[in-house]
Amino acid sequence: MNIEPEKNHVGADTSSFVQDAVARHQTPLLHYAARLLGGDVDRARDVVQDTFVRLMAQPPERINGHLAEWLFTVCRNRSHDVLRKEGRMRRFEEGQAERLTAADPRPGRTMERNEQHEAVLRLIGRLPHNQQEVVRLKFQNGFSYQEISRITSLSVTNVGFILHTALKSLRQQMTAQPD
Amino acid sequence: MAQHTILPDDPRLTAYALGEMEAVERAEFETQLQHDPVARQAVAEIRATVESLTGALANEPLPEPASRSLGNAAIIPGRDPRRLDGGLASPDGILGKKISFPQFYYLVAGLAAACFAVFFAYWDQHRPLHEVKKYVEMPQGEVKHREEVGSIAMNLPVAESAVLDGYESSSPTSATGNTETYAFHRDSDFQKPSDNPLSTFSGDVDTASYSNVRRFIMSGKRPPVDAVRIEELVNYFPYGYAAPRTEAANGVELPVDSQRAPFAAHLEVASAPWAPEHRLVRIGLKGREVSEATRPAANLVFLLDVSGSMNEPKKLPLLKQSLRLLVDRLRSDDRVAIAVYAGASGLALPSTPASHKAEILEAIDRLEASGSTNGAMGIQLAYDIAKANFVQGGVNRVILATDGDFNVGPSSEGELVRLIEEKAKSGVFLSVLGFGTGNIKDATMEQLADKGNGNYAYIDSLAEARKTLVEQAGGTLVTIAKDVKLQVEFNPALVQAYRLIGYENRLLAKEDFNNDKVDAGEIGAGHTVTALYEIVRVGEKMSETPGVDPLKYQTTKAVALADGEGPASKELLTVKIRYKEPAGDVSSSLEFPLFDRGVRFADATPDFKFASAVAAFGMVLRDSPHKGTSTLDDVEAWGRAGLGSDAGGYRSEFLGLVERSRSLLQ
Repeated sequence: MNIEPEKNHVGADTSSFVQDAVARHQTPLLHYAARLLGGDVDRARDVVQDTFVRLMAQPPERINGHLAEWLFTVCRNRSHDVLRKEGRMRRFEEGQAERLTAADPRPGRTMERNEQHEAVLRLIGRLPHNQQEVVRLKFQNGFSYQEISRITSLSVTNVGFILHTALKSLRQQMTAQPD
Repeated sequence: MAQHTILPDDPRLTAYALGEMEAVERAEFETQLQHDPVARQAVAEIRATVESLTGALANEPLPEPASRSLGNAAIIPGRDPRRLDGGLASPDGILGKKISFPQFYYLVAGLAAACFAVFFAYWDQHRPLHEVKKYVEMPQGEVKHREEVGSIAMNLPVAESAVLDGYESSSPTSATGNTETYAFHRDSDFQKPSDNPLSTFSGDVDTASYSNVRRFIMSGKRPPVDAVRIEELVNYFPYGYAAPRTEAANGVELPVDSQRAPFAAHLEVASAPWAPEHRLVRIGLKGREVSEATRPAANLVFLLDVSGSMNEPKKLPLLKQSLRLLVDRLRSDDRVAIAVYAGASGLALPSTPASHKAEILEAIDRLEASGSTNGAMGIQLAYDIAKANFVQGGVNRVILATDGDFNVGPSSEGELVRLIEEKAKSGVFLSVLGFGTGNIKDATMEQLADKGNGNYAYIDSLAEARKTLVEQAGGTLVTIAKDVKLQVEFNPALVQAYRLIGYENRLLAKEDFNNDKVDAGEIGAGHTVTALYEIVRVGEKMSETPGVDPLKYQTTKAVALADGEGPASKELLTVKIRYKEPAGDVSSSLEFPLFDRGVRFADATPDFKFASAVAAFGMVLRDSPHKGTSTLDDVEAWGRAGLGSDAGGYRSEFLGLVERSRSLLQ
């Protein structure tokens, strides 16, 4: 008599844990995955779904406390898998990513005030990929240096360096624009 | 000659600007900064850049498919999530190691794929065709985009899975249902000083419970028992305790070191009105006053809940009016930023000097309610802005206004609390303003304020907003002491039993008193804290027996003390107070002994009588076993006797409330 209610209880617990996670994180994760996958929203959706399926296999108590970090890490690894399988990714040697600069020319000098956000986003889009990722994790997803370090497996020092470099070049380009 | 010790390429500039430095390193770096105007300029520029980045990224649309540049997508392989540990392991030294994906992945992937296939089969049957397109057709316009992002239906299989059934019946709360939640509290019982000579609790000036109780009574409902927190009722009212540096009342001598203390203590004892054979002890603390003109400059970040649930007259519109009141009070050297959170969080107003009042008011006017509530993202953002504009020695405060229903956010309630706790270490204080009815998560908000070194007030009317944000702006904004703990030691020679009235969820273990790592309440400028103890003297017959049998092997040393001539033997009790300076990590301690001169209730001060009346009202509302003979008539008579000068008319309002509650307590 007391077997069934117990079973239901466990099921409901896990389900609401995953359900909450989905409600909270699906949009940020979709954005993140879509960036990693070069704008392929369909594939990003698959990766995010896969991430949540993996979440279901996890006991909630193991992930509680760093759920966002766990999801972003798994999502990142899954995106990596997809790219690798399809041979679309070039492996970066250590340090190479930081030295890369965007090939695109500097943006034009005409910028309307009301287009400022768009302009800032354009500037971000011209940063090297690793800088873009860290900038977004920090200023869009609100992760700390420590958390970004654990998601990307870069060292904390490295995260700080990448962010500093990105902000410096953004700052220079933004002040180069007429206000 | 300017000496450039910090090079422009130094990543510490960014880490400092973002508040990512440990305290020690930060202090060191700040010393260097003082001698380096170029670096200071760089820090300011970085912060400006971060603000526009945060604003722009908050509304970023999904990326366009970049057909030609797929080959550029570059990811350095990530880490095994099984080793994610919330920060325990050192994250360094991972880059550069060749990382291969562990077999774990293939195993899980296989299992997951199997589950996935099952789900998909099920899901696909039930998925209307047009929903598929939803994912792809993202609106291009930025403003529109933001509203719709919140509603992208991922339609994950979990939501419909037959495996997880039971979820639908347990799914939370319809939009119309009342989902207010309150944590359970049991009334404190009498304790014997021979068993527990020490009573320890956290000093607290939250007042939210009173305005909440008032809302219930005014709308003709009896407040739920656990919404009545007696200490918050008592502390809602201003009491006329003298500020520090003046003569203490009632013959209590101030110790010498209290001359520098940020608050004064005022003890009083008389008979308990609801049980005249018992004694009632009032402990009153009064914080140092800080005038509007002399308070330090403020760096305020409003963090406003603009989710759909706030779209009610008593919520967002009232919030806007309240903010206007506060902005009117600010000085020109203060700064204000407004961060909002709904489905996505964003910056509605970058940190702006209060001299640009028009800009601030305009930003307030523009606020609109929509979407669900992602509390944690907003909190993260607000603290980042607060840290970026940190005023050394000033008022640095995040003011969170919400109905408390954090239904979307990268966190469970526990995680949210953890986040706030972490953020509180940065020296930024928190005020929580609760709004509205219907889904107040009272316990969540109180807990956030407590963990975030802050205060919590419930705003149900413009008058309440004026009390909290204008009349008591000093106290709401300027914290003069933090982690204030009180410990009372009772003299077993005179005290047979004692009971702390209220503060049930503020009790601390006696060891916590001297442990500076244990968080406790904050006191704002000019605030008063009032605590009441009911005491049964030795020789008095006790009408109720405390829960534990008399101890067999313990002897009361204190009896010997009373027989002897020791100076302490005539003391009823001693109040010990520990506190920290707002920026300090080490606590100071004060001690105040109390003698009982047998004063009757009728001869007590008006403040004493009024506080007793409020406590009795709380006990009646809670139907407490300790309410004694109290009736609403008594409460009204005692309250009237304690009316005093009634500055602000709050005490008269209380009497009106007692009157209104008569019909509810039949």
